Amino acid sequence: MVDVIRTVFIALPKGFYTTLKHLFKKPVTIQYPKVKREMAPRYRGLHYLEVYEDGTDRCVCCGLCAAACPADAIYMEGAENEKGERYAKIYEINLLRCIYCGFCEEACPEEAIFLGHEYEFSNDNRDVFIFTKEQMLANRPKKEKPFKRIIRRVRRIF
Amino acid sequence: MADTVATVTLTINGREVTVPKGTTVLEAAKSVGIEIPTFCWHPKLKPVGACRICYVEIEKMPKLQVSCATEAMPGMVVNTESEKVKEGRKAVLEFILINHPLDCPTCDKGGECDLQDNTFAHGIDDSRFDFNKYRFIRERKSTFDDYRIGPEIVRNQNRCILCFKCVRANKEIFGEYDLGVFQGGNISEIDTAPGEKVDSIYSGNLVEICPVGALTNTDWRYKIRVWKTQQVKSVCSYCADGCNLTLWKERDKVYRVTSRRNDVIDEGWICDVGRYGYQLASVEGRLTTPLIKKGDKQVAATWEEAIGLIARKFREIKDKKGGVCIGGLISPQQDCEALLAFSKFFRTQLHSNNIDFRTEYKMLPEKESPYYSRLTSASFRIADIENSDTILVVGTNLIKEHPIVHLRVRKAVNQKGAKLYTLNPFTTKSGDLSRDEIVHVPGTLEAFLNGLCIGLAEKADGEGNVRAAELKARLEPNTTAKAAEICGISEARLNDLAEALRSAKKISIIVGELVSGSPAREAIAAAIHNLTVVLNLNERGQAAILSRAANSKGAERLGVMPSLSKELQQKLKSMWGGFPETEGRATDRMIHAAKKEELDALLIIGANPVASFPDGQFVREGLDKLDFTVVADLYETETTEKADVVLPLSSWVEQSGHFINLEGTMQRFEAAIKPVGNSRPGRQIIEDIAREFKGGLFADAHEIAREMQELLNVEPRPSFPDAVAEVKFAEEKIEKDYPYPLFVVDEMHHFGHLTERSRSLAAFAAEAQVEISPSLAEKLQIENGSLVRLESETGKLVLPAKISEMLDNDVILISRNFSGTAANMLQMRKKRIDRVRLIRVDEK
Ligand code: SF4
Ligand code: SF4
Ligand code: SF4
Ligand code: SF4
Ligand code: FES
Repeated sequence: MVDVIRTVFIALPKGFYTTLKHLFKKPVTIQYPKVKREMAPRYRGLHYLEVYEDGTDRCVCCGLCAAACPADAIYMEGAENEKGERYAKIYEINLLRCIYCGFCEEACPEEAIFLGHEYEFSNDNRDVFIFTKEQMLANRPKKEKPFKRIIRRVRRIF
Repeated sequence: MADTVATVTLTINGREVTVPKGTTVLEAAKSVGIEIPTFCWHPKLKPVGACRICYVEIEKMPKLQVSCATEAMPGMVVNTESEKVKEGRKAVLEFILINHPLDCPTCDKGGECDLQDNTFAHGIDDSRFDFNKYRFIRERKSTFDDYRIGPEIVRNQNRCILCFKCVRANKEIFGEYDLGVFQGGNISEIDTAPGEKVDSIYSGNLVEICPVGALTNTDWRYKIRVWKTQQVKSVCSYCADGCNLTLWKERDKVYRVTSRRNDVIDEGWICDVGRYGYQLASVEGRLTTPLIKKGDKQVAATWEEAIGLIARKFREIKDKKGGVCIGGLISPQQDCEALLAFSKFFRTQLHSNNIDFRTEYKMLPEKESPYYSRLTSASFRIADIENSDTILVVGTNLIKEHPIVHLRVRKAVNQKGAKLYTLNPFTTKSGDLSRDEIVHVPGTLEAFLNGLCIGLAEKADGEGNVRAAELKARLEPNTTAKAAEICGISEARLNDLAEALRSAKKISIIVGELVSGSPAREAIAAAIHNLTVVLNLNERGQAAILSRAANSKGAERLGVMPSLSKELQQKLKSMWGGFPETEGRATDRMIHAAKKEELDALLIIGANPVASFPDGQFVREGLDKLDFTVVADLYETETTEKADVVLPLSSWVEQSGHFINLEGTMQRFEAAIKPVGNSRPGRQIIEDIAREFKGGLFADAHEIAREMQELLNVEPRPSFPDAVAEVKFAEEKIEKDYPYPLFVVDEMHHFGHLTERSRSLAAFAAEAQVEISPSLAEKLQIENGSLVRLESETGKLVLPAKISEMLDNDVILISRNFSGTAANMLQMRKKRIDRVRLIRVDEK
């Protein structure tokens, strides 16, 4: 008997109070895909390739990203351009193999490859996950990724 | 017992080391596994001490010493890892890196660079220099100082650490002076001599020995990183030297070839044909599927159809007229397995002895010709050349025919003081090295050799002198004076050579293709044999006619010839349970028989007789008469055009097998890539045909290996007998209208009929030229590059002329490697020396 009274008059109101309290708070749920979340500055999403101010490739096809890649996701073929410089004729990342570790970004001596904030690239066709150089160049964000500056600073220290 | 070599004992890092006297501290350390970093040291070059990275500390010496240029002395106490040494290395590296660009990501050497490795191991990780680096910029439009110093070599001076290895090797080993050091101090520059290009046949080696990325070659350049490649052990498939190669491949592409040092053969140097020849495997235009002639066209077919048709046709011919109406030609660049299968197919299934591997030489003998075979199978060691004090090179442009043998001869002359004599119908590059470069009148070689024998015998005293009478009776000409007159050489020079040979302790006589390709080969071989008898060469050296292609020796030893030595025939008979009794035909007679319709079918593997067999007219007519021709090759050639069935053949980088080099050493090579398209290796093609025709040739791979081994165990030939052969020189009549002797030879950077497909080799030479001497050019008013017409009794050709400073008599050289130029049209089968007239063609 005492138990019933305790439940009805103390525990239940206490619980409802908590519910009522949250009813008027701002919800944490995001209405994805209508609403998108701002990613953390160091988030590692879809890759992109940087270029110099004059629009030429930064990547010189040195192969260090591929060497660092633990998933062996990067394939490239080098060639010589008209100016006698080395460039990547083919540069591909297999997004299904990639584990988004960011090692490629860290290995790159030319600051050419970065992992961006893009994460919406699901598909029902495996073939489209071979991310080509053109796609990676087009994928360049308008705004520079803030972490890039940090990488550069770190490089300069060491 | 070998003579006791004086030794010295020293202490390195607390260990006692005993080495022969004269060894450097560096080599002494290496011999016990102590590594000292080096840049400018190279095992085959004289030390210069230019880079100073090899510093070591030696007790009682106030300063650090460069170990590569310091001789080990008794009682020395050396320390290679002391603090002082480490400091020294750091300082040297810092110094080298002052102006070194941070190019590693773009530099092709990255990953295998001595500078990278040594900096990582011994250097400091920062620079204390604040000013701008000095930059060499030759052409403003490019970002880097990349500049071609030769058809295939790109130089980037900024990366050069001035170790001078390239310049030193070029001079010391290769005898080339097209590369040098210009300016001084920190603007010293490696560059070509004015107006020169680095285009010698050894040029690729300079790239290989550069410790940094200053010299790169265009096949590897920017295409791949070294750590992504796999290395495959291979052996060169071109000349008979048998250089050991490493193929660097990734997925299904070979990216470069480097040497795989073998001190017995190549000493770590290879020629450019071997280095760039792999490219012909993967260029446009490879035959990828069998073709069968239907009407006038060759149409694509499957392997089953093609093999079925071949087997059916062969059976038809065999049943109707006998297997002897079928002949086979196989390229001596095929592996031993293919050669043996070829021979077995013909001998056990077709019962025909009509097989041959020689498709470039005139009037091949049907029968075993004793002196010739004796000299082709004589034992010969490349490494023994350097132990000879007198070397006689006969009938070969050695640098072209056997580039690596040439390097040994160079080494013997330059480093060991050997005396070289050359005996050729025209001047060659070996002449630079020789005491006397004897250029005889073309077609008189045996007369000269006779004179030499007589000269030698007359010089000998006692028993030897008795021989002079015997010689005089059997030789013609039989006096030195007469011989000298016939050959157009002064008697004094002949006698000098005789004297040099007489007083020599150890002799190497090297004979080349101007002898083996000549219809007079037997007479010349007999004359050389006499020379070996007079010189008593069994005890004091070696003499051999060198085989030409990668596996010519294999073809000889495995019996891919119409007639075989008794021993070999016996062996084959017992091994295969039978051997055809019929007489076989050599290439020459096969074509002759085809012309007379006595031969109905020909199976040709990897050879291109239509373009290579001397007397183009003859071979074309012969092949046109054939009922059924099967040709397997990599590309369409003049011969595949005439074929009823064309089969796509795999190149040597697509298969594994064995080659036997000119010394008789069998070497294995591995496949680097898969067969291109639907092509198949020669051995497989033969086995497929045999299986369809009658049944498999070999039960398994072990059987083929066992049969090969058994055949190779057959002793090729005893040493030289002590009897004099009869040699009578007969002059060939010269037609007045055709005054100039013609020699069809390989272009310096080519070998056989396929290398023109290699992009790099085509960059050195892409079309045939007529090489003439400056004096002849002046006489006929021909300029370099202007068109000339060559006319012989059988054909005509119009080609650009090239005035070669090397030549100094009135001979004409023309290359046989280019499909556009059928040089064999000018040759005549029965003539010993082909002669042409040369007419300047004025611009139309
Ligand atoms: S993020 Fe990691 S796994 Fe993905 S490509 Fe780069 S290195 Fe490879
Ligand atoms: S992205 Fe960077 S690390 Fe990768 S190949 Fe290009 S330059 Fe080298
Ligand atoms: S180019 Fe290479 S081999 Fe020649 S001096 Fe420079 S670093 Fe040495
Ligand atoms: S062609 Fe002769 S010399 Fe040149 S790499 Fe091949 S085996 Fe060596
Ligand atoms: S290796 Fe000894 S000075 Fe260069």
